[in-house]
Amino acid sequence: MRGQTTHLDTDVLADFDAGLVTGRRGARIAAHLAGCDRCRALRDELAAVSAVLAAIPAQAMPDRVAQRLDRVLAAEVVQRNDSERARVDSARDPATGGRPAGHRGLRLVSLRVLAPATAVVLAAAGYGLSQLAGGGGPQTASSSAAAGPVQAASRAAAPAVLPGSGPAARAQRMSGASFPFVTSQTNFMPGTLRQQVEAALRAAESAPAAVMTCVRDVVGSADLLLVEKARYQGQAATVIVLRTSQGEVAKVAGAGCSASHAKPLASTTMP
Amino acid sequence: MRDAGEQWPSDAELLRRHVAGDDQAFGELFRRHRDRLWAVALRTVCDPEEAADALQDAMVSAFRRAADFRGDSAVTTWLHRIVVNAALDRLRRRAARPAGPAGDEQAFEALAGSAGDPAHATDTRLDVDAALRILPPQQRAALVVVDMLGFSVADAAVILDISPGTVKSRCARARARLLPHVAHLRGNRSASQSVSPAQGGDV
Repeated sequence: MRGQTTHLDTDVLADFDAGLVTGRRGARIAAHLAGCDRCRALRDELAAVSAVLAAIPAQAMPDRVAQRLDRVLAAEVVQRNDSERARVDSARDPATGGRPAGHRGLRLVSLRVLAPATAVVLAAAGYGLSQLAGGGGPQTASSSAAAGPVQAASRAAAPAVLPGSGPAARAQRMSGASFPFVTSQTNFMPGTLRQQVEAALRAAESAPAAVMTCVRDVVGSADLLLVEKARYQGQAATVIVLRTSQGEVAKVAGAGCSASHAKPLASTTMP
Repeated sequence: MRDAGEQWPSDAELLRRHVAGDDQAFGELFRRHRDRLWAVALRTVCDPEEAADALQDAMVSAFRRAADFRGDSAVTTWLHRIVVNAALDRLRRRAARPAGPAGDEQAFEALAGSAGDPAHATDTRLDVDAALRILPPQQRAALVVVDMLGFSVADAAVILDISPGTVKSRCARARARLLPHVAHLRGNRSASQSVSPAQGGDV
């Protein structure tokens, strides 16, 4: 930039517009602009560059990329939980520090107990369902291999009391009562337990009335362990698992199962 | 800066929950901003595959380093900073390899063939994408953050880890350099943008 008679070049104008040219030099540029149509036009074009860029809408992340990142994130979460668990384990009991990979997947199972709307989270890893649903409240068997899950359970098992619920009463005996049983990929967390449970409740499917009466009839006074809507030999069926004095009994009820017609399609006993 | 201030839990709260061990919080935070983060990565590295790699690097880094966040800036600013770093990192690594493609006029000429029909937004976007490639990465990152994403110079300085003065000069240089390549696109925008009053709108 020599003087007012020389036209401004693009770099100088860009710097000027960015507020980088001040003082006497800035004043000279301003004076030149005031009297020079050509440089004003150039300046406008320069301003239009920013406007063109600003008007380009940000494209959404492609699904392919989003899915990939979701997978990576899920792996990060697992990895963090594993190392956290290993850290806690080795702090508490050095002997169980290096636990086998078979215990990686901590499965948290949500149970909805109808009467007081209180959520109880039970932890299961390598357990039979019978141990879970046994006498009532959260069970924490004390085998050494279960150290991690049990700790996790005690961390997560602070009951989240939903609106309208009375206090306590979380050790409900789950006999014969109707409840949906869902296995999900949800990882319940202390901070969001309530919101997660509420979402789970909204998503939970309640059994049709006919299935309810059928299940109640099949169950009788036994402890209900599992109700699973599935197929039996290709036909829609409900698998009902009970605990009786003879052991665990699975009964398969067909689609026509009702209180008056509760004869199961099949039955098996697991002593 | 348009921040996600209306949402609850706030970004900062989600980050806090993540640090406290909440498995869902980081995912929610990242999903909340992922389109903009994607835009930064894509515009900075100019290649979808590299952008996905850069964004993955950044996401993992942010996930692991969340405890380092001190609240000096908005969480989005922090996230963008990590993404820009990862993107520039990718570019540096790519430049270290032989046959680095981006950054020359020939690439622009090859990619900007569709300038004939200025009526379509897609063409405009492709033209801008091509034009951005001619910029040096540092200038491009500054221009993307300020002009395309609308961050203030102060926030951009944090994101780019440079002084506000350097943000301004990089943006100025980048605009000057882009001018010949995007000047023909300005007419498209006259309806929605209050561009250049002195020019009297469309010419």
